[in-house]
Amino acid sequence: MKVNDVILQTYTKAVAFIILIFSLYLFLAGHNQPGGGFIGGLMTSAALVLLYIAFDMKTVDNMIPIDFRKMVALGLTIAVFTGFGSFIFQVPFLTHSFGYFRLPLLGETELATAVMFDLGVYLTVVGGTMTIMLAIAEDDD
Amino acid sequence: MALQILLNFSLAFVWMFLNDDWSPTAMIIGFLLGLGMMYIFRRFFKGGFYFRKVIAVMKLLLIFMRELVLSTWSVIKVVLSPKMDLRPGIFALPTQLKSDVEITLLASLITLTPGTLTLKVSDDGQTLYIHAMDLSDRDEAIAQIQNTFEKAIMEVTR
Repeated sequence: MKVNDVILQTYTKAVAFIILIFSLYLFLAGHNQPGGGFIGGLMTSAALVLLYIAFDMKTVDNMIPIDFRKMVALGLTIAVFTGFGSFIFQVPFLTHSFGYFRLPLLGETELATAVMFDLGVYLTVVGGTMTIMLAIAEDDD
Repeated sequence: MALQILLNFSLAFVWMFLNDDWSPTAMIIGFLLGLGMMYIFRRFFKGGFYFRKVIAVMKLLLIFMRELVLSTWSVIKVVLSPKMDLRPGIFALPTQLKSDVEITLLASLITLTPGTLTLKVSDDGQTLYIHAMDLSDRDEAIAQIQNTFEKAIMEVTR
């Protein structure tokens, strides 16, 4: 049965973006407040799942041409390379550091290499969650 | 397009609420983050990503300024040269532009660049009659306008 879910689709187009920006906030807030790569990644995949619920799979796959399996690999690579990066400075594996920088828009900002590791976690969580969801959903034929 | 701009600003405000930071910086960052997300999801919007049009408007502005400088230079040369071997004339420019805004924009741009002047738009809106100060090669003049202004206007409005 084909139902007309125009209300769901119209709301999704706006709400998905609000969830996405909340997930970005959670991702960046992780250092000093509750949040971080894991919850941010889960929230991002929640927004993506909402899109998959509102639209059919073929539409969303065409609109977001991202291979989530490659996203897992990319996330793990980033996380491992932040660990290897510490070897350049002659310190043990996964040693992280931070510093204060003057950025053009943000002014005085604390930048930590732990954020790079968090980015790896974020991508891995998004990729892993979406791979599980889509692998289950693709079962019908 | 207007809805996309509204969504982009709403996302910036959501970002400011979440951060409890009401400075212009937070707004710009929220706006840019929203813009990036909307770029990733650009295929969801009818008519494509709106920022593409903003870039097209910038391009039209730059093309206009370049044409203004170049044609002003050629008019200066004509005015200051001792002998006037000019062939002024009026030619018809066929145009593909449809809406009133597009045609008005094209006519204004032609008029604002020195050396050419729009006299009249034909009743069916398919042809512009243009007076050129030096019309040594008609086809070249038509092709030049079509390649610069008409193309750039079409990128903005379609």
